Amino acid sequence: METLPLAATSHDLSIWGLFWQAGWVVKLVMLGLLAASVWTWAIVVDKVIAFSRMRRALNRFEQTFWSGQSLEELYRNLSDKNPVGMGAIFVAAMREWKKSFEKGARSPIGLQNRIDKAMDLALTREMERLESRLTFLATIGSAAPFIGLFGTVVGIMTSFQAIAGSSSTNLAVVAPGIAEALLATAIGLLAAIPAVIAYNKLSTDVSKISSRMEGFSDEFSAILSRQIDEKVVQRAAA
Amino acid sequence: MQMRAGLTTSVVLHAAALGFGLFTLSAPAPLDAGAMESFPVDIVPVAEFAESVKGDKKAPVAETPAPVPATRPETVPDAQNVGDNDVDLSTPPTPEPAKREVEAAAAPPPSPEPAPKPAEEAPAEAKPEPVPAPDPAPVAATEVAPEPAPPQEVKPEPTPEAAVAEAAPAETLPLPTSAPSPQARPQPPQAQTAKAPERKEPEKPKQQEVAQKPKSEEKTFDADEVAALLNKAAAKGGGAKRSTETAALGGKQTTGAKLTSSEMGALSSQLAGCWSIPAGAEGVESMRVSVRFRLDPSGKLDGEPVVDSSSGNSAFDRSAIRAVQKCNTEGLQVPASKAEVWASGVVVNFDPSEMF
Repeated sequence: METLPLAATSHDLSIWGLFWQAGWVVKLVMLGLLAASVWTWAIVVDKVIAFSRMRRALNRFEQTFWSGQSLEELYRNLSDKNPVGMGAIFVAAMREWKKSFEKGARSPIGLQNRIDKAMDLALTREMERLESRLTFLATIGSAAPFIGLFGTVVGIMTSFQAIAGSSSTNLAVVAPGIAEALLATAIGLLAAIPAVIAYNKLSTDVSKISSRMEGFSDEFSAILSRQIDEKVVQRAAA
Repeated sequence: MQMRAGLTTSVVLHAAALGFGLFTLSAPAPLDAGAMESFPVDIVPVAEFAESVKGDKKAPVAETPAPVPATRPETVPDAQNVGDNDVDLSTPPTPEPAKREVEAAAAPPPSPEPAPKPAEEAPAEAKPEPVPAPDPAPVAATEVAPEPAPPQEVKPEPTPEAAVAEAAPAETLPLPTSAPSPQARPQPPQAQTAKAPERKEPEKPKQQEVAQKPKSEEKTFDADEVAALLNKAAAKGGGAKRSTETAALGGKQTTGAKLTSSEMGALSSQLAGCWSIPAGAEGVESMRVSVRFRLDPSGKLDGEPVVDSSSGNSAFDRSAIRAVQKCNTEGLQVPASKAEVWASGVVVNFDPSEMF
């Protein structure tokens, strides 16, 4: 701390110079905030790509589902692949249906419950995948300014210590230390602002996708329930 | 798997942004503050303009105003002779002549001339004289009589025709205005008119008056007399008050010199040491009395201290006055530079809650 180059004759006032002149605590804060910013943007890019892919997959599945294709055929096509979104829900429900009917289910109500459970599970798994890492954005958005402020406070503290040591209150002596300390706050805000905006945007997208999938699962559950009733009536007739 | 794409994109973006920032966001151009020049600013209370300190009106401004230094003739250290001389001369100094003699010397010249004339004309004009005499007498008496009367009486005596001159006054002696009568004589126009027919007698007094008036006025404007009346004593440097500092701008009189709070505090703390508060009086803590007193430059009391505003308790007031007097016997330590303020009177508040 004592070696803070406040009394240096000439200051490199570029961003890079300010960073190198800062104390190690401030440097650590700045580096941490930079890493957080890199990770935030990585998440944002990843989520944007994943959400657009998910939306496209949902559209394609809805098209094929309502095209009048037989459910058995659709199941056979999808089960080989690794389905996402509605596909995953559909496959989970169909698997349960097939298992129950192949072994000859006794109670139609129990079958209905099992299918609903399987669909809920698939839905939750899909939602978890979509929402993963979004909490990190929220954390960065709220905590990064404080971390930056911490770096600033520490930097100003050390620079005031240096002023007290040099016993000069000239603004030229005070200014560089304060400027480099404020750089920490600037980096913190730089990381926090995109994180907050991205979190708000992505969480709305997640809720939209999840409502769409919930709608499909309810619909498919109704279709399956009707099928079960028909099968029960046929079996009773036979 | 998918995350790798996002991470690489993010790192590349950050590297690009940082690289861009490093090259474009270099040190900001320093503020052009070189043209600024700092200069001292004095905050001056209005009182400094409203009130003046004694000084010289034509002298240059200095920190403290001071009048023109008074010059005082230096005494010659190894002088031989004692006296009023500024220069040490080998001859002893002659005492300056008294002013009275100068006056007496100036008066005689005009008097000898008229004196002989009346002496000669006196016999011839013995008759016409009495006629004009009573008329001008009252006029002349008031105007001229007081001044030249004594010298003229003295002069006629040494003249040879004193007997004749005395005879004429002897006639007029019974009148109390014996002094003016010789005065009336010296008029030359009167001598001429005396030969002329006596019809002009009524006109005479007027002429006399006209003639006399200018004469009397001429006398009062006599330059010699004025010179004699002037004080011929050689002026010595300065007055009773002397200034030794170089002259600096200031007013004729000091009106603004005030005590600083530290000077006032020093004075009041000295007085507090001399003050013994009357113990037992009720509400002593809330009493306060202002005492006004004057000091000479050495710090001694000039006159008696006076109660400026009473506390309402006479014992308390008296204790404050006693404090000033007691301190006076011990000697108050006051800065001599503020002698004007001490001389004009200082008011000290005696307040037990503040002084102790």
